[in-house]
Amino acid sequence: MNMGRVFAIAGRIVTQFRRDKRTLGLIVLVPLLVMALMGYLISDDKEPIKAAFIQLDQGMESPLGRISLGDQLYRELGKQKGLTLVTYHTVAEAEKDVRHGKIQGAILIPAGLTNHLLSQEGGELSLIVKGTDQGTERIIQMSLAKALPVLARNKPGGAAGQSQIGIKITALLVKKSLTNIDYYAPVLIVGFAFFLIFLLTSISFLRERSSGTMERLSASPVTRVEVMLGYLLGFLVFALIQTLVVLGYAVWVLHAEVAGSILLVLAVLTLMVIGVVNLGITLSFLARNELQVIQFIPIIIVPQIFLGGLIWPLETLHPAFRYLAQFFPITHAVAALREIMLGGAGFADIQGRFYALLAFAVLMILFGAGTLRKQQG
Amino acid sequence: METAIALSGVVKTFGNVRALDGLDLNVNRHEILGLLGPNGSGKTTLIRVIAGLLKTNAGEVRVLGSRMPNRRIAAKMGYMTQLAALYEDLTVRDNLVFFGRLYGLPKAEARKRAEEVTGLVSLRDKLDVPVRFLSGGTRQRANLAAALVHGPEILLLDEPTVGVDPKLRRGLWEHLYRLNAEGATIIVSTHIMDEAERCHRVAMIEQGKVIAVDASVELLARTGTANMEDAFLAFSEGKAAGAEEGMR
Repeated sequence: MNMGRVFAIAGRIVTQFRRDKRTLGLIVLVPLLVMALMGYLISDDKEPIKAAFIQLDQGMESPLGRISLGDQLYRELGKQKGLTLVTYHTVAEAEKDVRHGKIQGAILIPAGLTNHLLSQEGGELSLIVKGTDQGTERIIQMSLAKALPVLARNKPGGAAGQSQIGIKITALLVKKSLTNIDYYAPVLIVGFAFFLIFLLTSISFLRERSSGTMERLSASPVTRVEVMLGYLLGFLVFALIQTLVVLGYAVWVLHAEVAGSILLVLAVLTLMVIGVVNLGITLSFLARNELQVIQFIPIIIVPQIFLGGLIWPLETLHPAFRYLAQFFPITHAVAALREIMLGGAGFADIQGRFYALLAFAVLMILFGAGTLRKQQG
Repeated sequence: METAIALSGVVKTFGNVRALDGLDLNVNRHEILGLLGPNGSGKTTLIRVIAGLLKTNAGEVRVLGSRMPNRRIAAKMGYMTQLAALYEDLTVRDNLVFFGRLYGLPKAEARKRAEEVTGLVSLRDKLDVPVRFLSGGTRQRANLAAALVHGPEILLLDEPTVGVDPKLRRGLWEHLYRLNAEGATIIVSTHIMDEAERCHRVAMIEQGKVIAVDASVELLARTGTANMEDAFLAFSEGKAAGAEEGMR
């Protein structure tokens, strides 16, 4: 072995990367970005989510004064960092806001709860949620789980235990009780489609340029619109095949819930794929080789996965991040798919998401067309 | 004689580089015109301008009477790039049918033409071989076939014989003569001086300008030189008789 040769190879690699400023920057910046996001996301330093508090319990007069377990619970829940309570007077009003996502849940203290509990009969409070957002529901349940033991301790007549206070969960949009699979199936479908189509389009467009076939296309009478539509149709075939495979596996093997229309699911994905194909065309223009296409992944995909409400609920994120997330196609695609697949939502329920994806698609088509125009010098 | 292509005062800059610097050139119908010049003299840029791939900064480019870029005219031209611009994973046939259809041929017609042009460039036996398995020479023939598939009136060939062995080079020229006999106007660029002698006329290009254009024997006679290399140098240094006339 000749160490001189070893050092020559090592030296060449170092020089190559020193010349490739973009790669060098990414080696340093990507871990920092990912760690900063992760650090933020797993910290407790998050925004509280909103829940309604409906107090129908009048409490009970006792020799020591009026006792209201509902009021005590309100105070205890108020101490929980993850939750902000908003007082509502009627169940109907709260249900309406839960449905529209203005609040993430409603805690209902039924009439006579104090009475029932103090007379050792046991009682039940109600939690009303939408049912399609596991993340926020867990936060409310955890807050309740922390607050209820305190309540039990404060109860005059000794520690009868919290077991007597049950929680009845009502999901407004969802019929069966959902599993993690149900909740994450939309994430997998959207994630795979986005990732695959982005990679396929940008790499094949890059090859089109580097192999000179782009030059040949430009010299032919083919128009930009024809090229874009052709690419779109071609890749749509693969996106749909893949979606059907992922969806099929989720439904038949993992038994994921599909309450709504499969066609609507496909329509949402198609719209997203139109945007992603054009995103791929646009970004391929900024890359010299395959390695540089791969380098776009942490920049394009990671923030969307972290901040798009896929794993960590949007409602718990800093307002700036929540605002940013509205510009991510994945945010809208996953939210729309969850509503359709878990909550059986129809087009009317997800129009907002649909139009957001439409805007993404149109914007990307314009960028893609601009890129192709530039291509023609 | 009928003019197929007319360029006047064409300027094309890339940043600070003037790739074409007020270039004038007329190409007659049914002729084989050679573009001769060293690397970087502007040959490829000139071909791309004629193909309508580049917007010029100044001057006029007319092909078959119409200003370029023009899609209708683009359909009548065939363009063979320097590198074999083919889809590696597709077979020769797939590539040819694809390019045929891009130029507007119906599928059945494109299939028929694919077989015809591969016959023309002696590539019949490679029709169903994926391009990535082809050797350099066969690849270049497939590349030519792709430029011919739609039966163009005008052929633009950018250094078609680079890296091609002598036997194949002769074969390629035979194909070009045959196409020319069938009526095609052919523009072929080369930096190999002797190859230029195979063309009807030669346009010598240097620093984005045409320094001389004439039949190769005339170019030799006017400079009193024995080969194209010396003739080129003579025009380049302005020593030729009637150099100005050559500008026309």
